[in-house]
Amino acid sequence: MIYLIELWESVREFIATGGGVLYFVAMAVFLMWILMIEKFWFLSATYPKIKREVIAKWDARTDTTSWYAHRIRDTWISETTEVLDARMITIKTLVAMCPLIGLLGTVTGMIAVFEIMAVQGTGNPRLMASGISMATIPTMAGMVAALSGVFFSSRLDAKVKMAKAKLVDSLPHH
Amino acid sequence: MNKFIKTAAVAATLMLTAGISTNAAANQLDDLLKQVKADRVSVAKLDKKREQEFLAARADKQALLKKAEAERAAEQARNTRLTKAFADNEKMLTTREAELEAAKGDLGEMFGVVRRASGNAYGTIATSIVSAQYPGREVTLDKLANAKEIPVLSELEELWFALQTEMTESGKITSFEAEITQLDGSKASTQVTRIGSFNLLSEQGYLNYNDDQGLIQPLGKQPDGSIVGTVSPFISMTSGYAPLFLDPSKGTILNLETQKATLEERFHQGGTVGYVIAGVLAFGLLIAIERLVFLFLVGGKIAAQLKNRTTPNANNPLGRLLQVYQDNKNVDAETLELKLDEAILRETPKIERGINIIKILAAIAPLLGLLGTVVGMIGTFQSITLYGTGDPKIMAGDISMALVTTAQGLIAALPLILVHSVVAGRGKSIFHILDEQSAGIVAEIAEKEKQ
Repeated sequence: MIYLIELWESVREFIATGGGVLYFVAMAVFLMWILMIEKFWFLSATYPKIKREVIAKWDARTDTTSWYAHRIRDTWISETTEVLDARMITIKTLVAMCPLIGLLGTVTGMIAVFEIMAVQGTGNPRLMASGISMATIPTMAGMVAALSGVFFSSRLDAKVKMAKAKLVDSLPHH
Repeated sequence: MNKFIKTAAVAATLMLTAGISTNAAANQLDDLLKQVKADRVSVAKLDKKREQEFLAARADKQALLKKAEAERAAEQARNTRLTKAFADNEKMLTTREAELEAAKGDLGEMFGVVRRASGNAYGTIATSIVSAQYPGREVTLDKLANAKEIPVLSELEELWFALQTEMTESGKITSFEAEITQLDGSKASTQVTRIGSFNLLSEQGYLNYNDDQGLIQPLGKQPDGSIVGTVSPFISMTSGYAPLFLDPSKGTILNLETQKATLEERFHQGGTVGYVIAGVLAFGLLIAIERLVFLFLVGGKIAAQLKNRTTPNANNPLGRLLQVYQDNKNVDAETLELKLDEAILRETPKIERGINIIKILAAIAPLLGLLGTVVGMIGTFQSITLYGTGDPKIMAGDISMALVTTAQGLIAALPLILVHSVVAGRGKSIFHILDEQSAGIVAEIAEKEKQ
């Protein structure tokens, strides 16, 4: 418990030096990771069942070569890939947004620096330093968040593509 | 011969004339002689007199000289006496000082400490907000700090008393009646709450103690609403505990807060470019809301239609596609596909309309921010041209405009990007139903009807 409190304290301290923009970075990272974990879970646990059902339904069909059969097959593939693709755009958008939020932090931090300069002049570098840390820490946080997301989201993307291709291959015209 | 005669004649003539005049001047010469004789007597008399006078004066001077010499001797004697007295006094002073030093002993250091301590105490007590409640405490301290002579016991007690008061009062939260000088110069007497030596509060919010003039003034601008909001409940509370924002720096942080720009002021710092960006954001969000509502309604109707495939409803795109099949039940598959494609082409623009505009606006917003940056930097360099780089405060205004627009561009872009991804995802799934799945749905219905 004390360990958790200490951890929370250090997080709060980090946010205090980095400024409010870090909350947005944290929100984006949280959402991104929740969505990615959900997607991984879906691919490994739920999707195989859906795939089996579709394949069983296709195998149960007697007619697999007519125009009607082709259209029906396309529909089933489209329906399944839609489930596979769901929220992938959002994940990618969030990954792309993280550095932008970091950049926003840079700019707001620099605004703080120049505000201090406007009021106090350049005489007090210690006052300016708080603004500079507010500028640099969110940038770093945004970069780290984006980097953590880039690898796993591209991995996820590849998995989804593979799953789609395999599904198409598993529905042969017999 | 002739010459001799001439000379004789002249001489005779001369003698003749001389003989004549001698006779006339003989009386005068006698008188002169008589007079000279008489004069000689009177001059001798005069000389005598002067000699006597001179002699008399000489005697006087002699007396004066004697007197002056006597005076000099007296002064010299006095000088010796006084020098001796001075030396004696000096000696006595030294002994006395030594006696004083001996008598003071360690106390000498103490007086130095007292002076220093009262100097320090003057600094803290004069600027302390406790002085707002108890004015005039610093006068005795100032006297004590600058005193040349040894302080007396009552003054030492004064120092001790002042320090003790400050210490005790800085641990108390008290309310007292005081005169507040408003920002417009008017004065009013109100209830003031003092939190130790940290903050002064009133119903108006945080107060400032101006120690130069001994005035209690409200802050030029109160800090954020969340901070000021704690003041009023704290003052009206009678017992128990209440949260309150304190300024541990005794006013410095609050003064910095007054110079901080509010969010609204920041927004206006962005200038024209900032307003354009705000317009872009508002426009983009309006489109996004309209699209989301539209797609949500259409999606709901399509979902309802998917459950009830046999009776097409004309109020949704999928229903209209199914209607195409119902109208062309007896045509061959290829013709049906062409008819379906045509219907899909009719429906898709309605679904995809506006989505790209959101994307474009999301791309434009940071670019506008960049424009603002450049405009601000142009302003900065103009002021450098006019005033030089000597005063960073002049440049800071334009630089903050440059940065504020950049931030506004990003702030506008982020929600637009996010909302675009949501709208695009929603639109794409409807488009997939229409484009890729409608033919299959038609095929399924057709198969069922054939059986």
